[in-house]
Amino acid sequence: MASNAAVPFWRAAGMTYITYSNICANLVRNCLKEPHKTEAINREKVHFSISKWEGGKPQRPSLFDLIHLKHELGWENCSLNVIME
Amino acid sequence: MAMAALRREGRRFANPLLSPRPITAVRPSLFSEEDGPTGFRNISTQVVRNRMKSVKNIQKITKAMKMVAASKLRAIQVRAENSRGLWQPFTALLGDTPSVDVKKNVIVTISSDKGLCGGINSTSVKTSKALHKLVSGPDKETKYVILGEKAKAILIRDSKQDIEISITELQKNPLNYTQVSVLADDILKNVEFDALRIIFNKFQSVVSFLPTMATVLSPEVVERESESGGQIGDLDAYEIEGGETKGEILQNLAEFQFSCVMFNAVLENACSEQGARMSAMDSSSRNAGEMLDRLTLTYNRTRQASITTELIEIISGASALEG
Repeated sequence: MASNAAVPFWRAAGMTYITYSNICANLVRNCLKEPHKTEAINREKVHFSISKWEGGKPQRPSLFDLIHLKHELGWENCSLNVIME
Repeated sequence: MAMAALRREGRRFANPLLSPRPITAVRPSLFSEEDGPTGFRNISTQVVRNRMKSVKNIQKITKAMKMVAASKLRAIQVRAENSRGLWQPFTALLGDTPSVDVKKNVIVTISSDKGLCGGINSTSVKTSKALHKLVSGPDKETKYVILGEKAKAILIRDSKQDIEISITELQKNPLNYTQVSVLADDILKNVEFDALRIIFNKFQSVVSFLPTMATVLSPEVVERESESGGQIGDLDAYEIEGGETKGEILQNLAEFQFSCVMFNAVLENACSEQGARMSAMDSSSRNAGEMLDRLTLTYNRTRQASITTELIEIISGASALEG
């Protein structure tokens, strides 16, 4: 199992297991053949707005909208974290 | 009402010279607004007719919403039921420990963004508040993470100091695992916790939802619990592959468990929302129908009464001429 040895590295990079598995899932999705590939990628759209609260007041909400970013950046080659930051 | 009647009276007294008795000359139905006191002959049916029209429109809207909710429910119900297979292995392995006593509790309240769906949002908020009371103590810290606009609107009133993160607009696209896992990841990174308690409405049938709590422990707590031989003692029975320590495995597991439980919870809650909306819209279209029936009855009765009065007048007038 080659992936087992990788654990400390992606942990050190500040990734959680969820991010790691998402990247893996995305790689698998990209391996599909064409009609299924677009379908699978379009199914997994990420969109929500999140705001942190401090002292009983919401801070400015930040929007997660990966599908647009993905098209702009060509998500296939970059990790989730890079896009999110 | 009384003022209007007085004003009408006043106007009549004010110009008795100009028009001593103009009413008898013209058909009274045209003057139903002007001559209030004699208006009992022709109660205006305009108000009732307008009311009927608006009730009919409301009924149309609620019926349409019911249809929409029903079709959405069918799609999401299958997914919610399938997603149950994601958390069940975790519960089998790690157990569900709702009564675990830890310092930092984070309550994840799941609600909907839209309203008109019965009591599911207030149910999950009520459960969260009860839990908040239950787990908070002198040296403990309890925070809320809120999903959905509705729970935020309720919790902002009396516990806004305890809100840590709020998340909305989750259901713009159809729910999917990537989305929920990115969200779970964000919660994990931004909140310190010993135990996450996820409150959602578990879908049972179209008319019944169970407010449910799922507990996800932090890896340290899981390790502590398993060493003390609590409910999670079975973990040692499993063989761990590769060179990883138990702590690493547990951390990975806890993270993955959280995202899976969240995925299921969000789906179940969305499913309950559609079900609740469907039954709420069903009962409101039924209510609108009943209201429409009552209004129609009133309307017809009033119309018939005025017709009868007019007939009596004509007949008695005619007989007076003959006699």
